[in-house]
Amino acid sequence: MSETGFIPGERIPPALSVSLARSAKIGQDRTLLGVAVFIASESVFFLAIVLAYLAYRDAGLVTAKANLDVPRTAIFSVALFSSSATTALAARRASRGWLVATIALGTVFLVGQGSEYARLLASGIGPGRELFGTTFFTLTGLHGLHVLVGLVALFALLAAHIRRPSALRPVAFEAVGLYWHFVDAVWVVVFSVVYLGTLL
Amino acid sequence: MRPPAEAISALALVVGAIALLIFIGVEGALIYAVLRYRSSRLPAGRPARFERNTRLEIAWTALPAIVLAVVFVLMLGTMAEIGGGGVEPGLRVRVAGHQWWWEFSYGPVTTANEMHIPIGTAVDLDLTSADVIHSFWVPELGGKSDMLPGTTNHLRLFARRAGIYEGQCSEFCGVEHAWMRIRVVAESQADFDRWLAAQGRPAATRGGDGERIFLANICVNCHTIRGTAAAGAAGPDLTHVGARATLGAGVLPSDVARMRAWIADPQQYKPGALMPRVPLSDPELDALAAYLVSLK
Amino acid sequence: MTAIPLWVRRPAGERVGWLRTVDHKEIGVLYIGMGVAFFAVGGLEALLLRAQLATPESRLVDPLTYDQAFTVHGVTMILLAIVPLLVGFANYLVPLMIGAPDVAYPRLNALSFWLSLVGGIILYFSFLAGGAPDTGWFSYAPLAERSFAPGPGVDYYILGLAVNGAGTIIGAINLTVTILLMRCPGMAISRVPLFVWMTLVTTILILGAYPALTAALVMLFVDRQLGGHFFDPAGGGQAVLWQHLFWFFGHPEVYIMVLPAMGMISEIIPVFSGKPIFGYRFVAGSSVAIAFLSFGVWAHHMFAVGLGEMENAIFSATSMLIAVPTGVKIFNWIATMVGGRIRLTTPMLFAIGFIAMFVIGGLSGVSLAVVPIDLAVTDSYYVVAHLHYVLFGGTMLGVFAGGYYWFPKMTGRLLDEGLGKLHFWATFAGFNLTFLPQHWLGAVGMPRRVFTYAASTGWGPLNLVSTIGAAILAVAMVIFAVNLVRSLRSGEVAGDDPWDAFTLEWATSSPPPPENFPVTPAVSGRRPLWDRKHPELRDPS
Ligand code: HEA
Ligand code: HEA
Ligand code: HEC
Ligand code: CUA
Ligand SMILES: [Cu+2]
Repeated sequence: MSETGFIPGERIPPALSVSLARSAKIGQDRTLLGVAVFIASESVFFLAIVLAYLAYRDAGLVTAKANLDVPRTAIFSVALFSSSATTALAARRASRGWLVATIALGTVFLVGQGSEYARLLASGIGPGRELFGTTFFTLTGLHGLHVLVGLVALFALLAAHIRRPSALRPVAFEAVGLYWHFVDAVWVVVFSVVYLGTLL
Repeated sequence: MRPPAEAISALALVVGAIALLIFIGVEGALIYAVLRYRSSRLPAGRPARFERNTRLEIAWTALPAIVLAVVFVLMLGTMAEIGGGGVEPGLRVRVAGHQWWWEFSYGPVTTANEMHIPIGTAVDLDLTSADVIHSFWVPELGGKSDMLPGTTNHLRLFARRAGIYEGQCSEFCGVEHAWMRIRVVAESQADFDRWLAAQGRPAATRGGDGERIFLANICVNCHTIRGTAAAGAAGPDLTHVGARATLGAGVLPSDVARMRAWIADPQQYKPGALMPRVPLSDPELDALAAYLVSLK
Repeated sequence: MTAIPLWVRRPAGERVGWLRTVDHKEIGVLYIGMGVAFFAVGGLEALLLRAQLATPESRLVDPLTYDQAFTVHGVTMILLAIVPLLVGFANYLVPLMIGAPDVAYPRLNALSFWLSLVGGIILYFSFLAGGAPDTGWFSYAPLAERSFAPGPGVDYYILGLAVNGAGTIIGAINLTVTILLMRCPGMAISRVPLFVWMTLVTTILILGAYPALTAALVMLFVDRQLGGHFFDPAGGGQAVLWQHLFWFFGHPEVYIMVLPAMGMISEIIPVFSGKPIFGYRFVAGSSVAIAFLSFGVWAHHMFAVGLGEMENAIFSATSMLIAVPTGVKIFNWIATMVGGRIRLTTPMLFAIGFIAMFVIGGLSGVSLAVVPIDLAVTDSYYVVAHLHYVLFGGTMLGVFAGGYYWFPKMTGRLLDEGLGKLHFWATFAGFNLTFLPQHWLGAVGMPRRVFTYAASTGWGPLNLVSTIGAAILAVAMVIFAVNLVRSLRSGEVAGDDPWDAFTLEWATSSPPPPENFPVTPAVSGRRPLWDRKHPELRDPS
């Protein structure tokens, strides 16, 4: 109930109500569509940063090759990639357990990234150190920030589910899941460009 | 070869004429529609009901497209022409933009703010910047080109007639962007050669008071006077500063009084300029000004 | 004009006050209020610029103040005045026009507004916190880097624009979903009012363009605060990267700023011509073409950068091409008037003024798209003239048209027609006097962003004319302000449908009740209200 004494969506057109009841399709549910549109917009944001990374890739390649730990990051990446599967399972079953698993995997990934940062910083490579440092920390840092936001959303979902599962629309799972898939997909790109790119 | 500026004007004239025709047509139709169909001028009745006509739509999509295609082709011709068109330049000058003055290098000969070129010769500029982005623009001699740090751009100039052509930096480059003016002196080849030879000579050092004061102060950290120990690079080369018509990239005309005033307090004339006020006594200022103006 | 009560008025819901409201109409009004306020501020800054430029070598303001003034003027007008005004109208009108009770996410809607406003406040806070940004509205690097702009101004620019942009992006998501999912029964996408169409295209432009700005701002932030080198040539970075990112945002931004205004006059011209819009599908479709093209023209702001002849030619071609769909709109508006019965009310006058002035700005835009011409006049007052012809002559006149047209819906009272016409003619005269001479100034060599110019240049007289024009514009705006205040207090009561209009927003009360329509409307054509009023003249559906 909103403060104006009017519940948004209460009097939405009948045709729409029916489709809402059927729900779950991105093209028909406002929450999902909203998240989808948001993701589309975020893609442009990441595209810009990735392109900037690529523009300066050659200038930073030597530093990248010498300092990035590909195998180790690959292992942490697997954690993030598999969390896409767990979040899908969580959404399908509205399951608390899979939600916890997703959060755990996401956290593992962040810890991995944190330790990578610590290692680089310890060896004197920060955002101010050459183009590599600047582009690397910006790109991976922004992605990490998105993972963090995703974790917060997952936590909120979990909390809401623990408090009153019945009050939670099933689409909430799908919406958070959609965003999490996106964060994952971005990492596929970032990992390929930044880490696998050093192997070329 | 036609000067680039003339080629651009010719193109602008054609494009302007086309634009004028479109302007008259569209505004005419608009005014006609308003005057003809004002309800106060119409007998009682209902408005017409037509609301689509695909043929018309196609026509007024196609027509502008054709006009623009013509403009585009004309443009390609002019672009090729002003880009050099295969004509080898008779002179190359390296120009570096600084906050807020110009450095011109003719091979080893460096000068500032006032550039000389021979008439009837294609002059190619290699443009770069020492700090932020500037843009070289002398409207009567050609188009403009931005000057980016770390990059070299090219611009062709061509002057038919002798004379003084004024221009100025046209990319915003900080507080004194307005006073980053360019003076181009176009002169006969003989005059130009004489000028270049004079510029190439080191300053006549007579060991006078002015020179001594200059060398004893922080002036030397920023300015070069060839022939003396002064070899700074942060400010304009002063080897022949007395031969230039203006001071501070156009902010003051050059004479002894203005030179003195400038040195006494550049910030008064060009607030924000990167030359500090150097504390000097009145006699020192007099001597310094006389010396600098004598550097012809 | 007697209103046709289609629905019974319901008692207004409980008001919660402006700070907590989530009603799309109240948020729309907040946005419009923000736009009007910042327009006045930006206008006062413009008057300062014009006062300084009135005479050569003037010492009225110091260079630093001048630089801050034009930077803040540009940012204010574009991001804090025009965009909020247009988003405000969209917020207010879109749900009403599509027969929806509110936008898709009312709370997010409030968040959008407050973010936009806070972004503006952050920007202005810089004046108190050590100096406003002074690097121009597109704040080119490396001038905007810490080494050349050590003060905090640019940091406030980064933060202010990022926060403001976040608000705008969220608002665009909201409107997109609203238009896609909340249309009332029968409101096929091929039937929505053109204002809604153009809002939809605009929101898609926002979603594609603003993130590029955010990305650029983040990079500039990294450079300034974390010692990064994105745009720092000394550290291997490239100054042009900023330009690419900025204009990838900046060019679509200019269509973001004009399409909704075009949508407004696409509503107004048919109503006051007494005819349906001519070529609905083409007016709507051309917006899509414009949107598509506008992501492919950004480098026309960079012709002088030295990208290469080939690149310049390609971007020139796409830029010229955009004139085609824009022309389609102009021609359809004129064709709508032909054969009609034109009522020259104030909204209609402003709409006609829009067409007349926008054509001038559009044509000068096409001339700028011609590479050699741009190389001659880029970064000169010719560009300043162009941008004001499209932005003031176009968008602002459109906003005034929309303001006079929808004010009665929003407030229940009409704006005064006499003052309105005075406002129009004073604006028209002042505007042309201000900006027409600037074409010549640019052509003969006056660069933009100069705080003064040498007397020997001979630019004095035309600058003085321009300043006099700006003073007349200021008088025109005061007339408008008087009209606003007077009409709010004691304007003629409007009734539900004062203009004999076509679309759903006029089918509810003025101002509409919180839920907009007591029952969900169902429509069967493009002019639902007209069809109800004149069943015998229904549009064939
Ligand atoms: C509402 C905003 C708006 C709009 C709609 C436009 C519309 C256009 N603009 Fe403009 N522009 C700006 C706002 C806008 N611009 C701003 C703010 C800047 C400066 C930014 C800055 O540097 O600060 C700028 C700068 C700018 C430049 C860069 C100048 C420079 O810095 O060197 C260029 C260059 O190509 C350009 C081109 C165009 C073109 C081709 C159009 C076209 O879309 C115009 C199309 C319309 C018409 C042509 C008229 C109607 C058509 C017909 C009647 C059909 C027949 C016509 C023909 C056959 C030609 N604009
Ligand atoms: C929508 C955009 C918009 C609008 C409406 C305007 C409006 C005006 N602009 Fe501006 N302008 C820009 C966008 C806009 N501008 C941009 C983007 C730049 C480039 C900035 C840059 O280079 O970075 C620019 C730059 C610019 C310059 C060039 C500065 C330079 O390069 O050095 C000049 C100079 O004349 C100028 C003048 C004006 C004037 C006189 C108005 C007038 O039309 C203003 C009229 C309005 C008023 C005079 C308001 C007065 C208000 C009152 C009296 C109170 C009334 C109260 C109520 C209404 C409640 N503008
Ligand atoms: C910190 C550096 C610095 C110092 C020290 C300095 N200058 Fe300068 N000088 C500059 C710069 C930079 C300019 C260009 C100013 C402008 O036009 O924006 C300049 C310009 C000038 C000019 C005008 C040149 C022209 O062609 O327009 C003269 C003359 C001059 N300096 C003389 C002096 C003298 C004499 C001293 C010492 C008393 C001095 N300068 C000390 C940096 C310096
Ligand atoms: Cu150098 Cu402007
Ligand atoms: Cu553009």
